[in-house]
Amino acid sequence: MAKMDIEEIKAKSLSRYKEERDYFKLLLSAAKVMPGEENALQAKLLEILLDSKETVVDCVENDKPFIGGYFCNAPELFTAMDLPWFMVMETPFLAATAPYLINDIEGAEEMGLGTDLCTAIRLPMYYIENGLMPMPTAVLGLLYPCDGAPMLHQVLQHNEAWKNVPIYSCDPPYKSDERAVEYFADELRRMSKFLEEHTGKTLDMDKLVTVCDESNKTYSKWQDYNELRRNVPSPHGWEIGGAQAFAISQCFVAGDPRCTAWFEQLYKCGEARVKAGQGANTAEGWTEKIRLLWFDIMPYGWVFEFMPWLETEFGAVIVMDMFGNFPYTLIDTSSEETIFHDLAKRNLLDAPMIRQARSTAENFSEDIRRMVTDYRIDCVIWPGHMGHKDGSATIGIMRETCRELGVPFMHIGLDLFDKRYTSVDEVKEKVTDFFKGMGLA
Amino acid sequence: METSIKSDAFDKFVQASSCILNPEIEAWKEQGGKVAGFFCSTVPEEIFTAAGIMPFRMRGTGSTGTELSDSCFSAINCSFPRHTMNQALKGEYDFLDGLICINSCDHVRRIYDNWIRHLKTPFVEVMSLPRKIEQPQIDWYRDEINVLKGQIEEHFKVEITDKNLRDAIKLHNEIRSLQKQLYELRKVDNPPITGTETLAVMVAGTAMPRPQYKALLEELLEDLSGHEGTGKYRARIMIVGGELDDPEYIKIIEEQGGLVVTDSTCFGTRLMWRPVDEDNLDPVQALASYYIYDRPSCPRMYGDQERRIDYTREMAKEFNVDGIIGERLLFCDQWLVEHYMTNLDLKDDGIPFMALDREYILSGKGQLRTRVQAFLEKLEAAEN
Ligand code: SF4
Ligand code: SF4
Repeated sequence: MAKMDIEEIKAKSLSRYKEERDYFKLLLSAAKVMPGEENALQAKLLEILLDSKETVVDCVENDKPFIGGYFCNAPELFTAMDLPWFMVMETPFLAATAPYLINDIEGAEEMGLGTDLCTAIRLPMYYIENGLMPMPTAVLGLLYPCDGAPMLHQVLQHNEAWKNVPIYSCDPPYKSDERAVEYFADELRRMSKFLEEHTGKTLDMDKLVTVCDESNKTYSKWQDYNELRRNVPSPHGWEIGGAQAFAISQCFVAGDPRCTAWFEQLYKCGEARVKAGQGANTAEGWTEKIRLLWFDIMPYGWVFEFMPWLETEFGAVIVMDMFGNFPYTLIDTSSEETIFHDLAKRNLLDAPMIRQARSTAENFSEDIRRMVTDYRIDCVIWPGHMGHKDGSATIGIMRETCRELGVPFMHIGLDLFDKRYTSVDEVKEKVTDFFKGMGLA
Repeated sequence: METSIKSDAFDKFVQASSCILNPEIEAWKEQGGKVAGFFCSTVPEEIFTAAGIMPFRMRGTGSTGTELSDSCFSAINCSFPRHTMNQALKGEYDFLDGLICINSCDHVRRIYDNWIRHLKTPFVEVMSLPRKIEQPQIDWYRDEINVLKGQIEEHFKVEITDKNLRDAIKLHNEIRSLQKQLYELRKVDNPPITGTETLAVMVAGTAMPRPQYKALLEELLEDLSGHEGTGKYRARIMIVGGELDDPEYIKIIEEQGGLVVTDSTCFGTRLMWRPVDEDNLDPVQALASYYIYDRPSCPRMYGDQERRIDYTREMAKEFNVDGIIGERLLFCDQWLVEHYMTNLDLKDDGIPFMALDREYILSGKGQLRTRVQAFLEKLEAAEN
């Protein structure tokens, strides 16, 4: 291929990515001028995110090795190998409110992908098929927790331009016993070998121990922080401490002291609010009245139109969500054996979304039980994202679980990324009826 | 079913495919026989046969609604599990002595969770099917089959010896070979059996005691020798897709003049085009290898798209196909994306392809007919 062609392809592959980076720059400048500790935390997170974006841009432009991967592929390994990475499916989650997103969703529809396939899958498919995704040195695919994820990676393998990018995908067992964990640990070992082979990086065990120790510190702090959210009122709601905690610990700086420092700061903020008897109400005019478990991912595509409304209209605080709280396994760093075993456990049994949706429905009902009890939840909303087909086939079980717990349960039916599927007004109407019908408002 | 085939065996197949509890199962149960249901063609039926239990492939045949299963599933779930679960909740599956579920897709895997909460089938287990098709996954599945084997032995108080297993593999292979012979008959210009009729024969093969099915299939093949079908059709069609157990769907295509001559579906060639290796010293390993790697896969298996499209191409060539219809049940992510790739690949090959969504219970027949009609016109235009 001529030099010019390669440069053009590279530039195109970075175009959306750079737009996304610039969008985050904008958000960062806004966060920086906002007062308060929580906004300082948002700003810190955005800085880290931007840093990772810049690194990927640098890797593409200067032919340095980097990978496309996922949080549940034990990102501590990438950190230990000093391998920059980005999430293949990151745009719908990180940049769901970006101005270009609706056009891209339409672009995906025009490819003939219909509207019943998860938007989070359709979008990266669109980027891959249209040369709009940075092409990494190697890809670590995702075969769980839904049918869409492996299909996305089949498309990636099928694409003419991506065909030669080496790919390895860990195979998730459906079971959750010791045999399953061991099998998954072997998959992670094979994944490390694959990375060494294709990126020229090596996995140094001493470095991995350091990274895992650091990541244990992060998770311990996260657990402490989550204890704070049990307080009535909860020190924080949807804005901080849930999805952000997940993103920073698993998508950007896993096993990095910057990550632990962020959680320490988060803890301090929460602790100060609890001591002052303050709730999540940094804005004026409302107090916590309804403690809500939003049992799914946040509605990233229209989060700003909906979440503040929940708070100011009803005093409904998302005390916990699907990405917020997990019994994260701490890694026993005494040997290579224990590290891989515990990484497997953490990434198979603990990682959010994977944890609930990968296997049998107990994982849904037990998490609901645990969170409702621990966080004194008043009601549970299962948004029913159109991509979560396994969850949709579990609504009866979730409803039954909530009935047993004596908490109201609601299923909406929406697209977390595309507000045209169910309009924000419709969602608001349903939620209003639910709160009123259940005597919560 | 209207048919020109004069065969008692065929009549029995039609009957077995058009209901759930057929007379053969009733007779088997009367003699004290046990029946175990299973979902998806990746469950190794041979294990049940080796245990002396009749394997029954789960379907929602005869369902007219989902009023009972609607509390378990939602409107964005595939209609196959919704109708099948509805039939179960109505008591249509009370004859089952056991059920094996599997994580074949996001919709079907939840049947297990709902089933154990609402139904009293004495033995219900779930198998963990890998996504990849490499050696570690074959080994994982071998262990899964061994676990299942142990569970069956314990629950049903039977012993499944290697000899039992080898005999079962042999029987199932013989059936595969006879089914293949039936398909071979369809390569000619005037096949003695239509696609609609063939599907009935294939579905029956998952719903009868297997020795009996084998004998009837031999009888049918004899009855078909010398039988000439119609050579009048507008195009030779191949169907690619998943859970297709309703001959009526094929009938819609054939009524428009498209003769379905072959397929790559879950009740079609993917069940039988290749045999299980009878020479492997470990029959369980042979089964694992077969179900994970050797048999033609569906999009549920990851990293195998290239072999799948090659298989489709070979079939289309062997059966002299004019066009391919990609059948899909609404809300199925796996087949949606697979058909997307198939369409691109076949475009390169110049083979016309049309994706055709449907519901499990054939509603909107008019729309299906219109789409088929348009596709056939396109094929004819290309021909001229
Ligand atoms: S269905 Fe859920 S788990 Fe799957 S890609 Fe979409 S958002 Fe992710
Ligand atoms: S058609 Fe698709 S969604 Fe429906 S049962 Fe089959 S694989 Fe699952």
